[in-house]
Amino acid sequence: MPKSQFIDPSEVRKAGEITFQPIPVNQYNKTVEEEKANFSNEDLLRIYRDMVVIREFETMLNLIKIRGDYNGIAYDHPGPAHLSIGQEAAAVGMAYTLGVEDFIFGSHRSHGEILAKGLSAIAKLSDEQLMQVMESHFDGITFAPVKNGHSGTVKELAIKFLIYGTLAEIFARETGFNKGLGGSMHAFFTPFGVYPNNAIVGGSGDIAVGAALYKKVNRKSGIVVANIGDASMACGPVWEGLAFATMDQFNELWEGDMKGGLPLIINIMNNQYGMGGQTCGETMGYNIAARIGAGVNADQLHAERVDGYNPLAVIDAYKRKRAILEEKRGPVLLDVLTYRYSGHSPSDASSYRSKEEVEAWEAQDSIAGFGRELVKAGVATEDQLAGIKSDTINLMETNLKLAIDDKVSPRMDMAKYPNLIGEMMFSNESVDKMEDRAPEVNHPMAENARVQQLTKKERFAFDENGKAHSKIKTYAYRDGIFEAIVDRFYKDPTLIAYGEENRDWGGAFAVYRGLTEALPYHRLFNSPISEASIVGTAIGYAMCGGRVIPEIMYCDFLGRCGDQVFNQLPKWQAMSGNVIKMPVVLRVSVGSKYGAQHSQDWTALTAQIPGLKVVFPATPYDAKGLMNAALQGTDPVIFFESQRLYDMGEMFHKGGVPEAYYEIPIGEPDIKREGKDVTILTIGATLYRALEAADQLQEKYGMSAEVIDARSLSPFNYEPVLASVKKTGRIVISGDASTRGSFMKEMAQTISELAFDDLDAPPVVVGSRNWITPAYELEDSFFPCADWIIDAIHEKILPLKGHVVKNNFTNAEQIRRNKLGV
Amino acid sequence: MAIPVLMPRQGQSVETCILGEWVKKKGDAVKVGDILFSYETDKASFEEDAKADGILLDVFFAEGDEVPVLVNVAVIGAAGESVEEFRPGGHAAPVTEPVEVAETKAETVAAPEAKTVAEPTGKVKISPRAKNLAEKSGVAYQLLQGSGPEGRIIERDIEAAAQALPKFTPLAQEKAKAEGLKAGEMATGLGGKAVAKDLISYNPVYSDDFEVKKLTNMRKLIAKAMHNSLQNSAQLTHHMSADARTLMALRKNYKRALDAGQISQNITINDLVCFAVIKALKKFPQVNTHFIGDSMRWFKKVHLGLAVDTDRGLMVPAIKNADDLSLEGLSTQMQAIAGQCRKGNVSPELLASEAATFTISNLGNYGVEMFTPVINIPQTAILGVCTIIPRPKDLGDGVYGFVPMMGLSLTYDHQDSMAAKQRFS
Repeated sequence: MPKSQFIDPSEVRKAGEITFQPIPVNQYNKTVEEEKANFSNEDLLRIYRDMVVIREFETMLNLIKIRGDYNGIAYDHPGPAHLSIGQEAAAVGMAYTLGVEDFIFGSHRSHGEILAKGLSAIAKLSDEQLMQVMESHFDGITFAPVKNGHSGTVKELAIKFLIYGTLAEIFARETGFNKGLGGSMHAFFTPFGVYPNNAIVGGSGDIAVGAALYKKVNRKSGIVVANIGDASMACGPVWEGLAFATMDQFNELWEGDMKGGLPLIINIMNNQYGMGGQTCGETMGYNIAARIGAGVNADQLHAERVDGYNPLAVIDAYKRKRAILEEKRGPVLLDVLTYRYSGHSPSDASSYRSKEEVEAWEAQDSIAGFGRELVKAGVATEDQLAGIKSDTINLMETNLKLAIDDKVSPRMDMAKYPNLIGEMMFSNESVDKMEDRAPEVNHPMAENARVQQLTKKERFAFDENGKAHSKIKTYAYRDGIFEAIVDRFYKDPTLIAYGEENRDWGGAFAVYRGLTEALPYHRLFNSPISEASIVGTAIGYAMCGGRVIPEIMYCDFLGRCGDQVFNQLPKWQAMSGNVIKMPVVLRVSVGSKYGAQHSQDWTALTAQIPGLKVVFPATPYDAKGLMNAALQGTDPVIFFESQRLYDMGEMFHKGGVPEAYYEIPIGEPDIKREGKDVTILTIGATLYRALEAADQLQEKYGMSAEVIDARSLSPFNYEPVLASVKKTGRIVISGDASTRGSFMKEMAQTISELAFDDLDAPPVVVGSRNWITPAYELEDSFFPCADWIIDAIHEKILPLKGHVVKNNFTNAEQIRRNKLGV
Repeated sequence: MAIPVLMPRQGQSVETCILGEWVKKKGDAVKVGDILFSYETDKASFEEDAKADGILLDVFFAEGDEVPVLVNVAVIGAAGESVEEFRPGGHAAPVTEPVEVAETKAETVAAPEAKTVAEPTGKVKISPRAKNLAEKSGVAYQLLQGSGPEGRIIERDIEAAAQALPKFTPLAQEKAKAEGLKAGEMATGLGGKAVAKDLISYNPVYSDDFEVKKLTNMRKLIAKAMHNSLQNSAQLTHHMSADARTLMALRKNYKRALDAGQISQNITINDLVCFAVIKALKKFPQVNTHFIGDSMRWFKKVHLGLAVDTDRGLMVPAIKNADDLSLEGLSTQMQAIAGQCRKGNVSPELLASEAATFTISNLGNYGVEMFTPVINIPQTAILGVCTIIPRPKDLGDGVYGFVPMMGLSLTYDHQDSMAAKQRFS
């Protein structure tokens, strides 16, 4: 809460009432004849053609799915096909006015939107631009099959390219728009402004908000449309996206040309069903989805319901709403009413709706209806319309034949190149800044109070006599993170950071103190307490080309952004065939002293997910170096911190934390203390307790322990650990995560496999108990401490002469605990 | 400009040589062609001469050292030149006795004394690391009592057991007890244990009134080869004698021809015998063979092995394609190769027992009347040629006279029944 905004009790306690504006429903009522002034005959025919193309494309897929044949062309497609037969007018109406620089995001049912937006882009791009797009996409791999033997215009060729690229993608061909790695539910093509569709219901509800944020913050032209279904309005992340998109600060606090709302349209493709659940009357309560706008902000999201069975009604709405966005009064919510004749998927028997209902909608079919209007208005003859239909069938047949031909459209050759998908998981680039322009800052970095203060701090924890400097004088872990981040803010103009309490407060753990003064609002701001939107918007922001540091405060809140961290952030680089980069550094802090829902180490959850890089530095030197590496990269990095560490000075790196820029490669563990009798590998803050254990082992038992700090979890280079185990023959792996299913277990298993012959005892994991985290005063019975490590060594690795155990690490106890699940 | 002296490579298969004797010492002035040192391969001894004039600035190996071929052995140069860049492996000077580095292993984890159990109870629990170490150091871990968790045998148990390990292998232990032997200076077994052959006797009668002389590499190899031959074949020897009158007459003719300058080569009795044997081998190819376990090599050509007695020991070089040679040619080659053997510069390849297909050992010069030559396996036979002595012979019509007869001892491998059928003409 900024100090500039005064909450006056006498104001806010006043009696009153909230009033709402009426929300328009299906108000458009013009005929084609009346619209002739706004559309040429060509325009109207193109609208008709685009709808026919979508209908035929979806019909073709439907036939392939249910009969294995389209017009005598046999094919078996085992993958998904969520079709939108019936929804064509909504898609074409949505896309018709959009320019190439306008981005759409979609859902699992978005073939129609891809084609509509693609056709719209083709109509707007020049022949040269189209050739450039087609020839440069994957160096022409997608283009080559349709280019061969084409006779006709470039636009006709581009339409073939669009149909072919989408179809090849659906059929998992390497020539598809995303090398076949996205498939039906994730296909997209950014050069036409088509951004990822999303197989998670409502998945685009927050990602699209991030894309709009990117456009706003980086002053990019164009608007963003989030095509989501009516049923997704029940999804938390969609609401979180709405909350984020409508923050008051855009109008109240953001300054200058940044003042104003996001250029975003939440476009509900309201086909009235969520799978088999009827949203109106059964599974939702909004009755008319446009009602939602009234609950979100004072502008009621400028919401209205539009008849999605009339393409001209949708086009009309988009023209009007665009004007609102251009006035920076967004975002906008549109409830585009439509209907799908096809089932949720070809396996859907439509048992949840009556035949009469489907027939009643078919009787008002948007394509047939619009065709009749065109004929009536003298725009086209029946023969012309029939010609469009037969041309479209030819178009489909030609491209289907190409897309199913294994020679023309091969799949990735995984036999020949078994690592092909592996190579797509990360982009592994090293990029100073995502865009080359001057970063917007409030003052030169050297004038920043925090930066100046840091110059006076002791960058190594101890003085020359080995005495610790006072805490206030010591350059700490939080300073290491700050230094890396402030440096990047002055390098990369696209970098933004947000999360709870990121501004003013300086972050809950004071990492950002000083940044508020250095950065304008649009580069550092407080988000709603809404982790799904914090991470989801960051994904959209990065997808469009920006670099971003979302922060979710406590690790325990990862569950609140599960879909974003598990399904979205890690997947888009590979699912796009490496078209998309994901330079997102998600800061996550492991708590302490705050009980069961604020003290958990969930590193294993993230490290288990393919496509994420996961680091957990434990020293200021490593924190700065790893943050620099994370911010220099183009991959999503989950950056774990710990509240046990923020005050720690640098105790290991000789000469302290360098003032200059340096990177620590992600994936490299670090030997913090050398030894020869036993290796202790730690994750995160446990390092310091392991060092205590090492001291005691030396003093009491003459045993020298080698202490290795994992620093990274994924990727992870096992070689230094294996070399250590070769020397010592013994290893304990310790961390603060609950033991069961932890990353420590993963490491123990890997080490067992790779160092079996060197081991004098099995690798032993000393993690936290499989309980709730108790209060601070009881934490010693929950988190691993030095004497746990020693007891475990004594019990499982090497009996220590005269050692008396305090904790039960026997096999019998381990079996008992597992039996009980605790 | 100093130049290094390399240990030469004698033959493709030779990896190391034993440095024999330094003829020149460090600091000696040497001239091109001066013998610097002698060395041995498995098969032969050689001498290396100086390739440059100068001072022998340094030598890097001592007599008896095993030196990899093509490694610098010494440096010749002008006085005062540096030799360090030529020193193999950089710095250490292996010429000096290596200093025993006493390992000051800091007392870490109190090492337990090795304890054993009478019988292993159930499955022996041992860590992979301890098991590896046990195998390396020759500790029989099955009877060890482990000090690890739940009695697991861990690394330190093996280390302790290795410390306490008897200095003998079980066999050596038994032998030592039975024969009153003690461990010698050398222990060649696993983990530094003395094996039976390392034991030496301390006799109460003569005590240490003897000098132990190490066998040369060559002698060791001959000993091994001989022993190997007798262990791995079924040898028996037939003794016969042959009327040598024709042979002697021939020898006389050749001698005359030589004296008259008609031929240049001195044809000896041995040459004639060898020539006859080569002819015989063409008739009886079953002894011109190698026995290689489950099969035989039948040779189309005769590669004749010729036993040559030298100062270094017995050598058996092969005369390749001996059946292609004329008598004179054979004589010339045999003379040359015997000379090379005595000088020690014969090619090691020719000395391999596999090089020859049949061997002749002639002890006639030493007055031996019969002997049992040992087969050069994998060859299947060897002919011992003995001295010629007059023996009574039926000259016909009841008349007996003394005739010079040459003793022939044919040893053949009875594993090869073909060779058993061999009769000499």
